[in-house]
Amino acid sequence: MTVSKFLVAAATILLSATTFAAGIHGGGHDHGAASGEPGKASEASRTITVEMYDNYYEPGSIIVSPGETVRFVVENKGNLVHEFNIGTPEMHEGHQEEMMMMVEHGVIQGGKLNHDMMEMDMGNGQSMKHDDPNSVLLEPGQRQEVIWKFSDNSNIEFACNVPGHYQAGMYGDVKVQ
Amino acid sequence: MNSRLGSVLLSLLMSASVMAGEYNLTVDRVEIDTGDFVKDGIGYNGASPGPVMRFKEGENVKINVTNNLDEMTSIHWHGLILPFDQDGVPGISFPGIKPGETFTYEFPIQQAGTYWFHSHSGFQEPDGAYGSIVIEPEGREPFRYDREYVVQLTDKHPHSGDRIMRNLKMMPDYYNREQQTVGEFFSDVSENGLMNTVRDRMAWGGMRMMKADVEDLQGFTGLINGKGPDQNWTGLFEPGERIRLRFINSSAMTYFDIRIPGLDMTVVQADGNNVQPVSVDEFRIGVAETYDVIVRPKGEQAYTIFAESMGRSGYARATLAPEEGMEAFVPQLREPARLTMADMGGMSGMDHGDMDMNSSEGMSGMDHSSMEGMDHANMSNMDHSNMKGMDHSGTSGMDHGSMAMGKEGPSDPFYAKGSGLVPTAANGGKFLSYADLKAQDPLYEDREPTREIELRLTGNMERYTWSINGVKYEDADPIRLKYGERVRFKFVNETMMTHPMHLHGMWSILDVGADQWNPIKHTVSVQPGTTVYMETEVDEPGQWAFHCHLSYHAAAGMFRKVIVEGGPESTQAKTDAAAEEGGEA
Amino acid sequence: MSCIRSLVAVSFFASIGFSTAVTAQEMISDTTARKQPLTTWGVQFEEFEYRYSDDDEELGVWNADAFYGTDEFKVRLLTTGEYEIEEQAYETLENQLVGQIPISKFFDAKAGVRFDTPEGPDRTYAVLGVAGLAPQWFEIDANLYVSKDGDTSAELDAEYELLLTNYWILAATLDATVAFSEDREIGVGKGLVSTETGLRLSYDLINRALSPYVGVVHERKYGDSADFAEADGGSTADWFAVIGARIAL
Repeated sequence: MTVSKFLVAAATILLSATTFAAGIHGGGHDHGAASGEPGKASEASRTITVEMYDNYYEPGSIIVSPGETVRFVVENKGNLVHEFNIGTPEMHEGHQEEMMMMVEHGVIQGGKLNHDMMEMDMGNGQSMKHDDPNSVLLEPGQRQEVIWKFSDNSNIEFACNVPGHYQAGMYGDVKVQ
Repeated sequence: MNSRLGSVLLSLLMSASVMAGEYNLTVDRVEIDTGDFVKDGIGYNGASPGPVMRFKEGENVKINVTNNLDEMTSIHWHGLILPFDQDGVPGISFPGIKPGETFTYEFPIQQAGTYWFHSHSGFQEPDGAYGSIVIEPEGREPFRYDREYVVQLTDKHPHSGDRIMRNLKMMPDYYNREQQTVGEFFSDVSENGLMNTVRDRMAWGGMRMMKADVEDLQGFTGLINGKGPDQNWTGLFEPGERIRLRFINSSAMTYFDIRIPGLDMTVVQADGNNVQPVSVDEFRIGVAETYDVIVRPKGEQAYTIFAESMGRSGYARATLAPEEGMEAFVPQLREPARLTMADMGGMSGMDHGDMDMNSSEGMSGMDHSSMEGMDHANMSNMDHSNMKGMDHSGTSGMDHGSMAMGKEGPSDPFYAKGSGLVPTAANGGKFLSYADLKAQDPLYEDREPTREIELRLTGNMERYTWSINGVKYEDADPIRLKYGERVRFKFVNETMMTHPMHLHGMWSILDVGADQWNPIKHTVSVQPGTTVYMETEVDEPGQWAFHCHLSYHAAAGMFRKVIVEGGPESTQAKTDAAAEEGGEA
Repeated sequence: MSCIRSLVAVSFFASIGFSTAVTAQEMISDTTARKQPLTTWGVQFEEFEYRYSDDDEELGVWNADAFYGTDEFKVRLLTTGEYEIEEQAYETLENQLVGQIPISKFFDAKAGVRFDTPEGPDRTYAVLGVAGLAPQWFEIDANLYVSKDGDTSAELDAEYELLLTNYWILAATLDATVAFSEDREIGVGKGLVSTETGLRLSYDLINRALSPYVGVVHERKYGDSADFAEADGGSTADWFAVIGARIAL
């Protein structure tokens, strides 16, 4: 029983590691569906403050121009951990599986993040560190910046992929005009 | 002192601006047509179910209830926090409403969410006297939706409540048509061997208990919003819309396992209180519970809301569709559930030999059923559902399900280990557990309980007697609580049935091990052979009912009166005096 | 939410209208039916049948009971009879009126009187019995009778139901009577008096309210009782084909 349990656990970790490796993230090899790329602070045309509550954003949607670089100041004003992630709905869906894993492994615990667990080596150089440039994962009270250069893709949302939050409606449209 | 004065002033200011709504309800004899049969029943404003009562948080409501019956009636506002004399339980809150009389309820709406109301007199509720309550919050909801529907379930039986009670007292298995037969004996023999099967039957026969004792009341037609499966209640949507479904189980006796093949359901509220959203493929709704879920059908197609009874003896069915008249595939009922020795956990007179043998037997039964469920679901999806639905449940759902099974088998901390009642999702995916429920915004600060009260849920199926700590309501002293304390209730289910325990007037903080995030409920299901804890902040003076919400269990004695002694200064003197007088023991 | 709630609560106690409403309401005591013992009743014909014997005897037979009461105490009326159709006479006619109380988880004790008023001499007995559910689902009814003249006898009824399906039920019954003293006038000898064994296949047609059945019944007399029967020109062993219905109201 313990042996098989261990095996399954090992398999799960392996599996999660591969999922992480295969995860679709902001940078790199995304083509037409790309949401943009990390921006430089110096190129930011403006600053948008995004407040995260349980479980919604304020503002609920934003308007950008194609190619615009925006500096987002994201602040978690809720009682739960929230994410601010820029991507296409498909990217969010992929990311949600990773986030589910983070909850299952105790990385996200309601209103707290387990930082030790995030740093843990998953076996092939991958960790559950949430350090992609298109997103921030914040504990209540935390505040961080995302600087993002938008492409001309108009199918973009900013979303919280903490399990259940996107489904409950914690996402907003990025209207590219 | 100063702050108090301030808040009084503030509240006076508030009450000046507060809304006051007046509503009228009549209690009427009605005809109920389930599609399978037509019967006389009781309803509100000429129909059963009654209307959806829509209130706003912060509103003071005035509800005039006119009794057009030739017997006493009452309305209990299930899950609402209100003064005890407005709670609508005859003999506890008030004397009841006489024939021809109009009683006016008046209370402030201090909460938001999905609730329901029903008669607390005799068997009027199973006879049709129920309706729903939707309370809009003062602030915004922590989730989004484009439209909403109340989905109110019930188990409508051709017999009247009085007759059902009498039949159950006369023959406790009167309505049980899922009992083990000669055929099942032989199929068990071929599966488990002759000796194991004989020993199994002897063990259960020795206890005079039935593995099939999951649903006391079978032969009902499951209704959704008053419509039977053939009448097919339909909720319309535009593809891509987010729909909030407010599920309410107003059944007399029946737990339902609910799924919408092809759609994920995100549970956002339980018993009217927001929970941290959790996406599931299926969930079990206990009698008197409510769950709000959000679904987002993207396709231009119909979806079936399928609510299968826990014992698989019946179902309710409705449809979500872009257009009236569209239908989706209606799944088959799964195999009837069978109790295992694990569900007998609290039973005395059980020796270890039985336990060993049966726990292994229980395991095989479980594997079997979950496998079957998965195969079945995938097949049905392939045959009849759309491609999108199949992809979803067939691939990612499967992986997830088999992973979960590999990890710890289909288990749920709120069921006895090896229980025959552990639910599994038909598509092998995620089935909601109480353990998944976390308060979205805790109502109370977490603190140590001041004391613990043990309530053993007891009964005797063969006599159809149900009790708490072995004592029926008729012989019981009230449970006395003190205003301001936080009581930890320990439910120990010593019966083989599931009991949805409902404390009136004060919240039940269900211990799921999440400390300050423990969810707040009004009805807590206690599975056979398990111990469940809940805590209550005793913050409402007066006297309240506390009972199993299965209609015929409550009537057979699984019921208590709770007296809250003391109270805030303004009411303390009166309630103290009344508490002394109320020593009805 | 929690903040909102306490504000409302304060406003509720401060607002005069509501606070008078609450204080004016005393905590009442529960005198409703819920606080009273649940009273229930039932009428059942375990057997209601036509019997045709292997020597062309035709009988109308019933075995019924009606009860009224609570978990703690029930009054029960039991009636059984065999009516000989050709001779238009009651071969047996027994009526019992007993009080019944629970004595264990699965068994009740009964005490009362029994009146036998068939064709021929009548008898009156005091009855003491136990009835309930034995392990492995045997329904047991065991009674001790003492007649006005001091004759004692005992009767054991046992029934087992085999579920062929949830609607087709095969019921096996055994009824045995033992006398501890002779009562020649009614043909009872000391020792094992008689047995009646039956096998009935029923189908639940309307709930459990009406279940028609067919079956066979074997009646046999033993020892002195058999001799008495023979001496009176009766038979000591009979086979019957039966057709009837179980009825529950």
